[in-house]
Formats: sequence, C-alpha cells, structure tokens
Amino acid sequence: MDDEHTAGYREPCTQCAAVDWGVSDEGRFYCRSCHNVIERTREVVDLTFTPGSSRITTISRGRRTKRPEQGRLWMICEGFQFILRNQANALLKLGVRPHFKDEVLWPLWRLYLQRSGQAYTNNPVRSCVFKMRGPDSDSVMSASETDGETNPSSTVGSNAESSSDWSLRSGSVDVTTYLTARLRRGRGLMNMKKCLALIHLALIWSCEPLTLSDLLRLVNEGHIPYVNAYEELPDEMKLDGRDGLIFRVESIPSHRVMHREAQTLLLFLQLPAFPPISRQSLLHPALLSLRYLTDANLPDELHPWVCQLMELAGMADETLHTLDAASCRVLPRYDVQTAAIIVITMKLMFGLDDHTEWDLSNEAGDHDDSGNMFNLRRWYRLTQAALTRAQQRRARDIARKQWKAKKPLYPSRLEKAVMMKKKRTAELVQACFEKLSSCPAGVQRSNMSSFRFCWGDEDGADGPSLHHKKLDGVVTLKKKVLSPSNSMYWHPALTRCHPRVCRSHYSEVEAILPRSFVWLLELFSFLLDVKPAYLYEEVLRVERRVFGSKAPRDGHTRRPETRTKTSTSARRRTGNGRNDVKNLPPKS
Amino acid sequence: MDELERELGPLEDVEDDDSSDNNSTKGRKKSNLPLVNPLCVETPKETGFHQSTRICLEQIREAMLHHRWQEAAEYMACYSQILEDSSRNTEQQYKELIWRISTEILHNHPNSKLEDYNIIYERMKHSGFRHYLMISLEHAFHLLLHGHIEDAKRQLSNQKTKLIQAYRSLLDYIIWCDKKFTHSNTDYPDSGDNQEMHNYFRQASVNLKEILKNPGVWDPFILCYVEMLEFYEDHEVALKVLNDYAYDDSFPPNPNAHVYLYQYLKRHDASERKLMQELKNLHVLVPSHELMLEYSSLLLQSDKKGDIQKALGVVLEMLDFACWRINLDVWKRLKAIIQKLHLQEDWKDVVSGEMAGRKDWWPALHFTSFHACKDSEENPELMEVKASLTKILCPDLMLKYTAERVTSGTWT
Repeated sequence: MDDEHTAGYREPCTQCAAVDWGVSDEGRFYCRSCHNVIERTREVVDLTFTPGSSRITTISRGRRTKRPEQGRLWMICEGFQFILRNQANALLKLGVRPHFKDEVLWPLWRLYLQRSGQAYTNNPVRSCVFKMRGPDSDSVMSASETDGETNPSSTVGSNAESSSDWSLRSGSVDVTTYLTARLRRGRGLMNMKKCLALIHLALIWSCEPLTLSDLLRLVNEGHIPYVNAYEELPDEMKLDGRDGLIFRVESIPSHRVMHREAQTLLLFLQLPAFPPISRQSLLHPALLSLRYLTDANLPDELHPWVCQLMELAGMADETLHTLDAASCRVLPRYDVQTAAIIVITMKLMFGLDDHTEWDLSNEAGDHDDSGNMFNLRRWYRLTQAALTRAQQRRARDIARKQWKAKKPLYPSRLEKAVMMKKKRTAELVQACFEKLSSCPAGVQRSNMSSFRFCWGDEDGADGPSLHHKKLDGVVTLKKKVLSPSNSMYWHPALTRCHPRVCRSHYSEVEAILPRSFVWLLELFSFLLDVKPAYLYEEVLRVERRVFGSKAPRDGHTRRPETRTKTSTSARRRTGNGRNDVKNLPPKS
Repeated sequence: MDELERELGPLEDVEDDDSSDNNSTKGRKKSNLPLVNPLCVETPKETGFHQSTRICLEQIREAMLHHRWQEAAEYMACYSQILEDSSRNTEQQYKELIWRISTEILHNHPNSKLEDYNIIYERMKHSGFRHYLMISLEHAFHLLLHGHIEDAKRQLSNQKTKLIQAYRSLLDYIIWCDKKFTHSNTDYPDSGDNQEMHNYFRQASVNLKEILKNPGVWDPFILCYVEMLEFYEDHEVALKVLNDYAYDDSFPPNPNAHVYLYQYLKRHDASERKLMQELKNLHVLVPSHELMLEYSSLLLQSDKKGDIQKALGVVLEMLDFACWRINLDVWKRLKAIIQKLHLQEDWKDVVSGEMAGRKDWWPALHFTSFHACKDSEENPELMEVKASLTKILCPDLMLKYTAERVTSGTWT
C-alpha cells in the first residue's frame, strides 16, 4: 500500500474488509482489492509562506462530517489578524469609513508583518527551528524554510505520522517562539496593546475623528472587542493555556501607555509622512475644541478665543499635527492637547485663581438684565452636579464590569479542573443573586454618543444648555479690540524636569493650586478619562509654548515674569530634553 | 499581557506602567496608622479586573452599611467573578468574604428564599476545605432556625469532628424537648411517642458521653444532658457527669462547671456542707461571682468557729470588685456579718486583719465624698448602711463619707 499517500489510513474496506488503500489521480482513496472508492481524500496542508505570495494555501480535510474537535494549525499572527479584523469591523459598524479598514489598516498590518519578519520576507523570523508541537514530544519536526519550495511529499510524509493526532492538537504552532525572551525584547512581536495601537495609527492616517481617548472609551464600553477578544476566533483555531498568556488581558491600557505603544510602533514601522491634518479635520484642535466646549457646556463664544490661543501657542499649524519623519516625529495627542488649550483659555478669561472668576461672576450677575450673560458660578453649579452624577455612574460601571471569559483558557490540565470548579461556583452565586435582585450582572449600555454629557431641555438631559450665552461680562472693548477683562495670569514654574527622573509633580503641587483650576482639570480629565496629572503636564507644556514663543499678539496677554521666557528659550536652543511638541519655528 | 508579565517576568526596560500618582514622588512617608481595610486599598499595579472588583466591594459595603439590600444584591451578582481570580494568594479570603456577605444579604433582602440559602451554603461549602465545617454548622443553624430540624441534622450527619457531633446531639436534645413538651400536654400519653423520645435521648446521650470525655468547654451540652438525665431520674450518672466536668484536671478551669454542680446539688437538697464545699471551689475561681452572696449566707448561718471570719473574707472580696459597689444586699450582708462578729471578743482583730491589705485603696473605692453625694441622691438606704460601717472598717482614717449636703455644687 502506498503509505506515503494514504497517510496511514487503516480502516478496513466496507466491502472486502481488506486494508489496502491507494490514492487515485483525483486524490480519492480506493480499496486496491475491490476498487471501492470512499469519500476520503488526500489532504495536504502547506504551511509555507512562499515569498511573493501572500496567501496561505490550505486544502481542507475533505471529510463530510466535520468533527468539532478538529483543530487547525495556526500561527499567532493569524490570531492577531482575526482579532484586528473583528476590531476593525466593530469600528465600521460604529460609522468609521471602510477606507480605514481596506486601504489603511490592512496595508499597515502587512507592513508590520514584513518589518517584524513574520511574513513577506525571505527570512521569516522563525526560520531557524520550526517546531511543530504534537501531543507527544516525539513528533517534533524541524523544517527549514529558507527556500520557498519544500518537498511536498516529505511534508506530507512527516505530517502523516501526526495526522491522526491532529484532532487532539490545540494551541498555536509558534507560541514557544513568541514567548522566548529574545524575541520579546526585540519588540517586534504583537500583543493586544500593539493591536490597538495599530488601529489607532490607522485611524489617524485615515483622518477619522476618533481620538485615542474615544478609542479607549469604545474599548472600555465593550463596543470594540479587546478583553477576551480571542473568544471570537474561529472554532478551528484552538487555543491553549500558553496562547492565553498572549491573548488574554485583564486590563485596558491607559491613555499614557497606549500613546507610548503607538509611538513605539510608529518608529518600528518607519512610516512615511501621514496625510495632513488640516484645519478642517475634526482631529485638529480648531474643531476638536468645539466638540469639547459643547460637551463641557461652555458658551460657543469661547471658541474664537480658543483658536486665538492656539495661534499664539503656534499650534494652529497643520504640520504640527501631522506626523512626518522630518518635521514631526512624535505622535500628537490631539485630545489632551486640545483640552489643555481650552483650560488655558479659561485661565486667561477667568483667572481661575479662586478670586477673579467669582468677582467676574458677581459682576456678570449684577449687570445681567436679559439673562443672556454667561455666569461662571451658574455654570460651575450645573456642571459640578452633572460631573458628580457622571462620576458615580462611571464608578458603578467599573464595579459591574465582567472580565472573565465564558470559555476560559487553562494553563494546564491540572489547573483546568480547579478553574472549572471555581467558575461553576462563581456562576451559581451570580445566578442566585441575579434572580434575587432581578437584575442581570454586567453593564447595560444604552446608546453610544461622542459626548459624555447631554445639555438641553429634553428628558434625561444633564442640565440646561449654556452654549448660547454671551461672554459680555468677561470681555471688554479696549482700543476697539475685544480683550478679556481679566488681566492677570498665573502659572506654576514651567521648567521641565527630566522625563526619566520624575513624571509629574502634580501630586505635590495640587494642594496649593487654586481649587477652581483643580476642579477644571478634574472635569476635563473625566471627559477624556485620563488622570488629572497627565492633563496638568500637558497644560504646562502648552504654557511653555505660549510663553516661550515670540512677543504676544495684540498685547492682551500680560506675562508675569520675563525670566520664564528666557529660561525656556535657552532650553530650546540647547535642544535637550524630550519634547512632545517638537520645536518649530514660530509662525510669523 | 499582565499574565504574561507575571509568568515570564517583566522585561528589563519596560517603563513604569501607569501607576498611580503616589508612586511618582519618591521618598513619600508611609503612614504609621494601621490599614482599616486591606482589601479595598489600591495596589500600584492593579489590573482592570482587580480595580473593578475592588470598587465593586466598596459599593457592596456602602450599600450594606446603608441597608440598601437590593443594591447590594445587584452588586453581589457582579462581584462573584472574583472567585475566578487566578492570582494565588487571596483565594481563601475571597471565598470567606463571599460566603459571609452573601448570607448577610440573604438575611436582609425581602425576597430571599430558603433555596437561595441552600444554594449558597452548598456551593461555598464545597469550594474549599478550610471553611467546610464552619459553613456546615452555619447552614445547620439556619435550617434549625427555620424549623427544618431534620435537614439540619442531615447537614451534620457525616461529620466526624467533635464539635459537629456535639451539635448533632444538641439537635437530638431539641427534638427530645419538643416531644417531651407535646407529650406532657396530652392527656393520653402515647407509648409510641414515649419510645421515640427515649430513642432520641439514647442517641443524644451516647454522643454526649463521647464528647464529654474530651477536655473542653461544653457548657450548653452539659446542661442539656443533665436535664435529660434528671428527667429520667438518673441521678448517679448526672452527679458523676457534673463532678467530672468540674473536677477533671484535664479540663480547662471552668467556673460554670461548679455553678452547675452547685445548682444541681441545691435542687436535690444536698447537705449544707456539700454546698459550701462547692461554693468554696467557686470562690477560688471567681471571687466576684453572685453566688458568693449565697455562700456568705451559708457561712453566716453555720455554727462552726472559723466560718464567720471566712464569711467576712468572702464579702469583702466581693466588694473589692467595682460591680458590687452599689449593691445593697452585699453591704447588708456585710453589716450582718459584722454584727455577728461583734459577739466574739476578738472581732476588732479579725476585722483589722481582713482590712489590713485594703486600707490603702478601699476608702478611694467606696468612701469618698463623691460617693457620698451619689449615694445620698440615688440610694439613701445604701448610704445609711455604708455610713454605719465606715468607723468599723477603717477606724483610724478620716473619711469624707458623710451625709452633709454639698453646697454651691463644688466638690470638696
């Protein structure tokens, strides 16, 4: 019998009971004694990535009845590919244009595979030893893939021994290589965070108006699969405990961490210049600030002031916001920067030193005949009430969030029994209390919205809208130019610390900062879901730009000390320290 | 990725993950105050899962403290995922937490049913060894309280530990009592019932005898056993049991044992000598026991020579304790003893002998002007008795214990 082709099939023939099989030209099995043809076909699974082609060629097993426990050999990057696809589809369902997925994300993914040496290359990263894991350690086989052509018969032949064991196989093929320290250190390998970072980069490239904080919010709320995303992998891709180390996560990364991940990925991919973020783009501070102002229930009249500040800080330039190997190598944080600009504008207009803003507010209250003037005190009361409620809702949602998978991955067989028992206990307790309280566990998500708050007169609004209020109380006409009535501006020391030594001094200075300012930071950190210290650092950065830039326009900002200016420009001349917002020649 | 880091160790150049602001300031002074609730403290590298469960626990605690049981039940449904936590060291903690909180919620929630209790108890019992017995016991108590005595017994039926056996016999006793009650209330004593009652008695007594061989504190069980034995008029065994319980050296010293023995002897008209003997032993253990009053009266009544002095000693020792300070009976007894003592010639020596060690601190304990004021307001009869004794007990001292009215509200 040609064992080589029949792959060790030893079932007796139904007609003549002999065990003597051959393979016909079409690849079907037939009994050599009685020429009875059966349904079985010869299977060939070709795992090579031939350079120049990007398809994995597989011929399916051909059995009519698919046994559910059959697994397929798969690589980790395939798994990530599926997850990426699911995440992208979720985004498309939320309204992102298909251009993002088809023309941006996939090319980026293929570029990543190429750069990390996992595909599209003559030297795949695991070329040295390609271990196929069988149920017993004997069936370890190495195949070198330096040349694209492998001998098909030898492949089949060596597959032959383990073909009957394939039904027991689970887990990816190359998880061991994925877990070696050397490759991990090389930072080329994919993980869940990087997956999300790739999506983030793709979104920026497509100029989609989703900021990083929006993306993280979608992940948090479960609209985009992340935690337990591996559960949506196809059934044939069986995962085992070690794959769980890579695919299972129990945290959603923070803004800071994601930004760093994306930055690293950006450098790794060595991308060319991004499509420009123009002033009309919704990621540009000019328009993004409008969104945040609306969300914070601040009057629309504040927007021109925000734009002016933006110009002052030299941040209106679109090159600043467009990633480019030459001019802007650092990934901008559109959301945090815009929020910082708004905070500084508020500081300019209202002082925010615990005195000025209330005085202005009193005056506005006194002089307001029509009820149309923006009153900071009223705004504060409304917003604070809404903020408290929203923070409680958020805490409640965090408490209720369910993290554990329906189909958990077990690190080993021993642990499996223990973990299954624990899971059973947890489920029973949950069912008992769900019945008792008539309230299912987990978070009930209502409709999605880009905004955290809803201002207006409808039912369920967080409060009345103040968007149409006038800023007459806080601006005055001086020499035919509108300028803020407030003439004082305070800021803490703007000298930069070495980033490796300390990240933020916020926790030290917070106690002596004015309460209004601290509260405003809290409001915007809530909107973006970042830590106040993070936003505070960004505010300082923008302030450095404002005060470090050339002479103020129109004279409506009085800088407190000039020495601040010289020290920062001295720093810029020597060009040390890392700067998120790279030094640009000031706009004339 | 967190699991990956844990399994394989963090990479060397991994920058600090997003830790809380507290970590960024170096050299921050650690608080010396003890942590109130270590479970609700945020750890620096908390995963999202741990953050969720931590906040959930805080919410449950808030809800329970404010008696919002519906809310607590809702959060509990979400909290149960903590049982699947794979970090090793806190398993037991969470199991116990879930058990105790669940039962508390079930106690107070209006819609809780017995099935819910059964589910929780069964599940938590089998989730680990450490709490198995405790949970079994609690389950049994719960069933008992709801009248399911047989179920309660079944819960405990296959346990080998002494405590469980003891409680099982307690249940037998309860059933026995029940039957006795119904039996005594009927006009026609049914012999079948009697037989059943006797069966329970036998079951209980077999177990209790076993239990009582082991050193320990078995107060409630002793009482049940003795009651049953008394009913069947098995006095010898009862006495033996009580004596063993009180006098076996291997048992921890237990004043209650002597109390029970004394009460039993009293019930069965034992001689005064015997009673006094018992109370003497009790006196050694607990000089401030309320039975000392009885002891002193027995000693007062007796004709033996040294007894009156003993009586004085007993009562004075009672009054050494602040709890008897304003008890009229004790002071009256003291007065009666002193009066009887007066018949002896050497009464002064006797008194001064007993008071020798007390001269320094008794006046401050009983005879200050503050006490005078209080007693004259609240308990004038007491004041009279005490006042009459001051000169006798402390003849040399100038005590301020007088019945003078305090003027202008100032203490002298």
